[in-house]
Amino acid sequence: MPGDQLDLSIPTTPGVSRLPARVAPMQATAGVAPFDDPDYLFEPWWPGVRALAWAEGGRLIRLQAEGMADALTAFAELADELPERLMADAVILDGWLLALDEGGWLDTSLLRRRLAGDRHAGRPGFVASDLLWSDGSAWARRSFARRRQHLESILLDGDRCVVSHALRGEGTLLAEALARFGLDALSARRLDARYRAGSAGEAWLRVPIAPAASTERPRLALIQRLPLPDD
Amino acid sequence: MARSMWRGAIQFGLVTIPVKLYLATEGTSIGFNLLHASCLNRIQMKVYCPYHDEVIPRSETVRGYEWSKGKYVVVSDEDIDSVPLKTMRAIEIEMFVNVDRDNAGTQFVKQAYYLEPEQIGAKAFYLLKSVLGEQGKTAICKIVLKDREQLAALNPFSKTMLLTTLHWPDEVRATDELSLPEDEIEIKASEKKMAEQLVASMTGDFSADDYHDDYRQALMAVIEKKVAGEKPEPAARAEPTNITDLMAALEASVAAARQDRREGKADVKAEAADAKAEAKAPAKRRRKTA
Repeated sequence: MPGDQLDLSIPTTPGVSRLPARVAPMQATAGVAPFDDPDYLFEPWWPGVRALAWAEGGRLIRLQAEGMADALTAFAELADELPERLMADAVILDGWLLALDEGGWLDTSLLRRRLAGDRHAGRPGFVASDLLWSDGSAWARRSFARRRQHLESILLDGDRCVVSHALRGEGTLLAEALARFGLDALSARRLDARYRAGSAGEAWLRVPIAPAASTERPRLALIQRLPLPDD
Repeated sequence: MARSMWRGAIQFGLVTIPVKLYLATEGTSIGFNLLHASCLNRIQMKVYCPYHDEVIPRSETVRGYEWSKGKYVVVSDEDIDSVPLKTMRAIEIEMFVNVDRDNAGTQFVKQAYYLEPEQIGAKAFYLLKSVLGEQGKTAICKIVLKDREQLAALNPFSKTMLLTTLHWPDEVRATDELSLPEDEIEIKASEKKMAEQLVASMTGDFSADDYHDDYRQALMAVIEKKVAGEKPEPAARAEPTNITDLMAALEASVAAARQDRREGKADVKAEAADAKAEAKAPAKRRRKTA
């Protein structure tokens, strides 16, 4: 794939960005309970920090994270990887900043430490869920189905950056899976909705999941899809 | 027991005690052969001479000692046989030292051998053993094994004696190369007391039976599975996994939930029923507030 990257010569004037300086992110509406609906795409409500990522000229130039002045410094590893994984330039992604522990599991205390400036806390990750700009043009007015499809085609999964796993229609199934996973909410986005600045209305819901009977934290064995030992 | 690997005599002053030597330990590491990946046949190591640019038979090789860079002197079998050694076929006791952990570098051991006295020397053998044991002494001796004169320690062991070959002093490295603190480390009385208590609480009798080579057992299990035609499962690694593994785990979790639904687990059914009702509800009701 690096070969493809080399072809991405960018016909831009140096120093002039093709991207807006700031974007008002879409804000999810509170949902009530998991549901099934083929018009929605369901994915985990990742327990991380919501962030928009600007990539241009082969560099991650900006990470606009909720309540953070300088997310780019705190998540410096992403600056190395994200642009490498992107098959398009002048892109703004919408997603989540996460921190993983040594076992590859999400760890909010490590995330907090990283947000507090500890650049060695955990291993950072970026999960992309939506796309606002690509190749210098705004995608906000296109449907989420198209944005998501384009996102999947331009972001190659890497060690730190991935497109979020998602299920169409089967919200309750995902809720069951997430409950075992120890997550407490899912995200439901309407496939025909455009990206709205501010309140999303029906376009995006944050749906709480009733906690599963067993709240045992998934172990490494689960993460690696291995049978658990009989202990 | 296996065949003795050496036959000779303990020389102790004017006393000669004929003994046999047996290896006390055996290597249990799992041996592998190198195969050609495409045909799985054993590969051969050819002896190649770059000067003649040809593969030569091993019989055409001789031993060379590099006495200066690129300069060799040939050492033949006859040369080696002619080396005068007093300790041929003898375990020559040089001296006795107290069994003491600081004594004479006896910690740098190479290989342990059991001794077996020939009948004719049994009495002298056990006399020596009992004196060593009662006086807490180790006999330091020399022996020629595998063409080499070796330094060894002789100690009572169980119903026999154990001969442990030692490294020569010039084979033992100095500790100067290590970065050790120059000054004495200050230790508080309370710290020392705590450490002493910990040591006391963990003090017991050493029984080697309690310890196993876990790696070897695990590797053997993998090999046995392969022999039986099963595909070995990758063991759980302690190495960090990445975010794609997290996605894979999520996928697996979804698949498991789907499987549970298919199998119709009771609680899942109930949930699914709720979900159906929810799905039928108008979209507006999914939201708390608009």
